[in-house]
Amino acid sequence: MLESLQYIYAPQIINGLSIGVAVILMALGLTIIFGLLDVINMSHGEFYAAGAFLGVSLMGLGISFWWTLIIVPLLLVPFGYLMQELLIKKVFHHKDRHILTLLLTFGVATILEDLYKVIWGANTAKPATPITGASEVLGVMFPNYRLFLMMFGALLIFAVWLLIYKTSIGSIVRAATLDRNMSASLGIPVNRVYALTFAFGVALAALSGVLLAPIYSVFPTMGKDFILMAFAVVIVGGLGSIKGAVIAGLLLTQLQSLSSLFISPVWSDPIVFAVMVLVLMFKPSGLYAGMKNG
Amino acid sequence: MDKYQYQAVRIMEYVMLVAAIILIIFGKITGDTFFLRLATEALIFGGLALSVDLLLGIVGLLSLGQALYFGFGAYLSALILRDWVPSFWLCILLVAISSAILGWVTSYIALRSKGVYFALISFGLAQVFAKSIYNTRALGASDGMVGVPIVQIPLPFLTLNLGDAITFFVVTFILMSCIYFALKYFLYTPLGRIWGGVRSNESRLPYLGYNTQTPKRIAFILAAIVAGVSGALYPMLRGFVSPELMYFSVSGNAVITVVLGGVGTLIGSLFGSSLLMILKSIIGTLTFHHHIVIGLLFIVVVIFAPKGIVGILCTKLKERATR
Amino acid sequence: MSLPILKAKNLSKNFGGLRAVANVSFDVTPLGVTSIIGPNGAGKTTLFNLLSGLYIPDEGQLLLEDTDITQLSPVQRLACGMARSFQITNLFFDLTVEQNLQLASQKLESWTNLFYATSKSKLALKRAEELIEEFKLEAKKDEPVAFLSHGEQRRLEIAVTMALYPKILLLDEPTQGMSQGDTHNTSELIAELSKTVTILLIEHDVELVMDLSKHVIVMAQGEKIAEGNPHDVRNNPIVQTAYFGETE
Repeated sequence: MLESLQYIYAPQIINGLSIGVAVILMALGLTIIFGLLDVINMSHGEFYAAGAFLGVSLMGLGISFWWTLIIVPLLLVPFGYLMQELLIKKVFHHKDRHILTLLLTFGVATILEDLYKVIWGANTAKPATPITGASEVLGVMFPNYRLFLMMFGALLIFAVWLLIYKTSIGSIVRAATLDRNMSASLGIPVNRVYALTFAFGVALAALSGVLLAPIYSVFPTMGKDFILMAFAVVIVGGLGSIKGAVIAGLLLTQLQSLSSLFISPVWSDPIVFAVMVLVLMFKPSGLYAGMKNG
Repeated sequence: MDKYQYQAVRIMEYVMLVAAIILIIFGKITGDTFFLRLATEALIFGGLALSVDLLLGIVGLLSLGQALYFGFGAYLSALILRDWVPSFWLCILLVAISSAILGWVTSYIALRSKGVYFALISFGLAQVFAKSIYNTRALGASDGMVGVPIVQIPLPFLTLNLGDAITFFVVTFILMSCIYFALKYFLYTPLGRIWGGVRSNESRLPYLGYNTQTPKRIAFILAAIVAGVSGALYPMLRGFVSPELMYFSVSGNAVITVVLGGVGTLIGSLFGSSLLMILKSIIGTLTFHHHIVIGLLFIVVVIFAPKGIVGILCTKLKERATR
Repeated sequence: MSLPILKAKNLSKNFGGLRAVANVSFDVTPLGVTSIIGPNGAGKTTLFNLLSGLYIPDEGQLLLEDTDITQLSPVQRLACGMARSFQITNLFFDLTVEQNLQLASQKLESWTNLFYATSKSKLALKRAEELIEEFKLEAKKDEPVAFLSHGEQRRLEIAVTMALYPKILLLDEPTQGMSQGDTHNTSELIAELSKTVTILLIEHDVELVMDLSKHVIVMAQGEKIAEGNPHDVRNNPIVQTAYFGETE
């Protein structure tokens, strides 16, 4: 019993955890954008892909993985900013805002996916694993990179939570999104806050892309493949809830990795989706709701 | 619908009719089949767009997964025609009934949620369905199924050969017109008004005596039938089906065409689909990357003309009348 | 003393730890206007929502003409003869006045008529015409609701609730936001209606309530603190305290 726990389940659990943190990071960006800005970002997966592609290119230029981790999200910040300022803002005040932003971001996703084909070609690339080797944990060997992912990811998630709920920047953002006019009259540059928040959200997705690139490989349609998982996490967790995204992210990735022990991995997506639907049948707004209270 | 919208819709209907007639004459004279087949395909996807518009523009439900029913209809049609009996009428009938059942069953999953959640669930449903088909050897997996025979349509006085491009185009045009006018009819019934009520003020409806799930379910099933029957025509035209028919890009494109044409106008969906097909083929000859152009166009439409072409027409008519 | 048309027995509703409505009982006799008043936060709206079916009470019973409607949904209560209006105008804004009334009257027809052209729903169309005349909305009948004045919208709001010949009509702050003139007209309208339909009213306008009602129920902090005819209620020291605080 203990042996199967060690050799069969533990690796899957760790795998699930290492992927889970990256998925959570991506879902966090999505849920922040919805929770704070009330925007459904259908192009989120494409920013994840952008992160992966840029990561591959930068590392191909010889830049170290660590620098890439810092540079790539920063590179995406102006894009996110401009997207919010130039595009999303234009439809924000429409009464059909949810649908229009969904469609708008879908349009952006269409463009981006083709753009990646243009710039990077249609082939798959796989960057070398930045941290090689394996270590022994509790008697089982785990790839170092996965262990790193787990710890780094957990740290980042905690940092995001701190940022939003425990810092003054975070409270400015939350104020601006809760009451736009009031915040503006208090001197808060509301438009800039919105744009930076959006940029932050997509930067998280890009970071996720860099982190997962060595595991999942990089190809132009990767955004579309991953977005179902991201949305499933966000929906199950509750649109706008950080706590929800974390818990749902862990739940669904564990489900995915453990289920691959018993059935062919091609069925993992349908299972994740089935779970999502089941949760929604009993809790139509997800497990937790609302960002305004964390 | 105010009188300007009514006029705009009427105009678009005539435009489509005239365009079809011109195309037929052109085909007869030049013997060309390329444009006719393109137009036929545009109408087939126009049917899918109609099902999206029914849900989005009429009832207020954004479905990002109508391709599920489209692909289902296509696969079922291919199976019936290739492996059972190549009968047009039987195929359409079976697909219609099966799509209705599928729509009914999936409605219990999808209609539990509203708004954004509904959109995402419909998206997920289609993805899962597509992946499941992709994984199934018996249905050809990633290659899909080929070898669908050309069908004849037996009528009392003559037999139509769908191998002939003009015939197929006319058949598709008539079929889509029937679907279009059937949907339009429903719009002007009290059921249509209840749908409008669901769209504009869902919470009030129970206080008028109507629970909202039933009208939504009816619309959902109708939309499934429309998408399924449209999909059934696809293998008849192209001779094959593949899992791509259920991918998000198909659902997404349908939504784009609806917005382009004019949400809630029904005719806009058919027009938008035709327009998109034309644009794709024009742009496709200029560059491989027509998705970028389509995406840009879409963004422009969403920001500057969210009411679509029919909406623009409507505004112009109003301006002219009030001058 | 006629038999009550509506009997509320020990209705209670909690939200989290908050007792919004606590042990409220009262009877409503047929016809005329019965009003529920009380200071802000008294629980009037929650009580109203319990009566109309938006909420189900945690405890207590509600009887409409001997039918237990406590657990029934709004759709079911409508079938029993109870209709309600809304404090925030809750109409179909992109439809015209006439279309709103036709939609409201549609339930008079059998369900099969849903699938035939609207012109076949003769009962509904006729009812809509009657209502337009009764509520003096002829001038604007082809206008989308969004183009009506606030007063006209509130009038339409009441008209919509009358469409299905209810036995009892629950009106939620019908004169909310109205000018003096509109309030007066609405008051007359309600008085006229109350000759054929039982009316249960929540209002903030105490003067209006005192003029119109035959019976007044006063709530404060979730409980019923007084009831009786307008004169008695007005002079009731408990009521005065609840509204105005301690008087010396």
